[in-house]
Amino acid sequence: MSHKPSLRSLSVAAASAVLVSLPLALQAKAPEVSQDVYLDGLESPWDLAFMPDGTMFFTEKCKGLSVQLPDGTVNHLLGMSGSEGYAMTTDDLFCSGQAGMNGVTLDPDFADNHTIYVYSAYRVGDDPASNRVLRLKVGGDLATVSDRTDIVKDIPYKQAPTDHPFGDSGAHNGGRIRFSPDDGFLYVTTGDNHNSSLPQFGDNLGAKVLRIDGNGDAAPGNADATPEGFDPRIFTYGHRNVQGIAFHPESHQPIVTEHGPWHSDEVNALVPGGNSGWDPRPNMAGRGDCPDDYCGYQPNQNEGMDPEERSAYMPMTDLETYPDAMKPLWNNNGYSQGISSAAFLEGEQWGDWNGRLVVSFMGIGFGGTPVGQRINVIDLAADGPTVQDITEMPVPAGSARFRGLVMGPDGALYVTVDEGQIHRFTVE
Amino acid sequence: MKRTMLFALACALGLAQAQAADTAAGKSLYASNCAQCHGPTAKGMASFPALAGKDADYLQSRLETYRAGEKVGANSSLMIPNARNLSDDDIANLSAFLSNNAQ
Repeated sequence: MSHKPSLRSLSVAAASAVLVSLPLALQAKAPEVSQDVYLDGLESPWDLAFMPDGTMFFTEKCKGLSVQLPDGTVNHLLGMSGSEGYAMTTDDLFCSGQAGMNGVTLDPDFADNHTIYVYSAYRVGDDPASNRVLRLKVGGDLATVSDRTDIVKDIPYKQAPTDHPFGDSGAHNGGRIRFSPDDGFLYVTTGDNHNSSLPQFGDNLGAKVLRIDGNGDAAPGNADATPEGFDPRIFTYGHRNVQGIAFHPESHQPIVTEHGPWHSDEVNALVPGGNSGWDPRPNMAGRGDCPDDYCGYQPNQNEGMDPEERSAYMPMTDLETYPDAMKPLWNNNGYSQGISSAAFLEGEQWGDWNGRLVVSFMGIGFGGTPVGQRINVIDLAADGPTVQDITEMPVPAGSARFRGLVMGPDGALYVTVDEGQIHRFTVE
Repeated sequence: MKRTMLFALACALGLAQAQAADTAAGKSLYASNCAQCHGPTAKGMASFPALAGKDADYLQSRLETYRAGEKVGANSSLMIPNARNLSDDDIANLSAFLSNNAQ
């Protein structure tokens, strides 16, 4: 792993203000952005969490949890099955396809309790696998973790391949975890596993956003808002594959990014008990049988076709069947390009972009859809909330499969990329 | 004996064919059409497999299978349209470039 020198933005204007529809006088001034490779030589880095002094915890999907100290030293803390060089290795954590060690976040009282949480795929022997949320204590020397407690044990995991695009085991695995600065609860995003019996049913934790405390117990109030009989840890349901969550800086409302099915990547504002309207079951809403009982890529799952036509047949948010579903704030102009993570820019240094939502895209080129690897900067008014403006983050060092977005304590935006790097976006 | 000679001749022809492949063209095609999923050095990433160093015959066979519209593996939906318009030379060049470790 190595640090690399910064690459200066050559032209901010060329990369910004792409989708702006406002009059010029009302358009925000884009800051001058630099992008550098902050950390290199990683293997599928997925998520980050910072201490105030810049100490950076990071997950690698098939390796485990590590931490970089402010002096650049990297300590490998918790290794997964097959990993080497970690202070502790555990064989019950594994990776397959999109699943592995995904999200990481620090306890709001980390300074006092040294507690960290990770989301990981888990399996023992031949038993069915699951996803779990682990709570760990970080040693005072930042070289070890201990006191593991699995606070959520039953998040569904896709056990076996099916006849779908990206149909391997571990698909649609969710995996982002974040504490709300408002209510102090931990929000956990999950995926539908290519399983149509998960999203609209409250007897399971797949295709949901959970709201729990640090012990894994349900947040009081969840069950007041969800349909009767739902698992009380469920905050919202009817999602497809949520990989991003962030909290609006003014309203603190949770905002999520949901990866769409060959169409309609979504940004959604969550309300308690909300239904995101994804229901890929066969033989309903005008659909017939579907491969392996999952209609998520129909009516033509292997060939390109007009995204609008797809959406009409298999909507990302089915407002006809579920008129009260949460309406998306934005649907990526009908495209699915692998929307991944979300964060809010923070700090005066960002100028007019201070407080704006950033959402990342890994890029998927299918059926005439542009690949679309990028980070969008969205002016999201708290009232509504409503999208006021959308533009693009300049990428002077180049685009990549942008996977995870986290604000650093230095006011820079840090981004995990599948190419094995952590990028840093800074402004003057 | 005759069969051995024929086999040797076939191998020699195959080798000559591989040597004739334009790895520079393969590299260029890879950068523009493949790297965004399989990674800049073809080591694979996310759900997309590593290709660098794979046997050229294997790569050629897979690409021909995708070009023919036949499904093989979970990412066929992405690979079939990507391979559809590849020529024989494109496939040979890509396979040669990747089997030479894609450096």
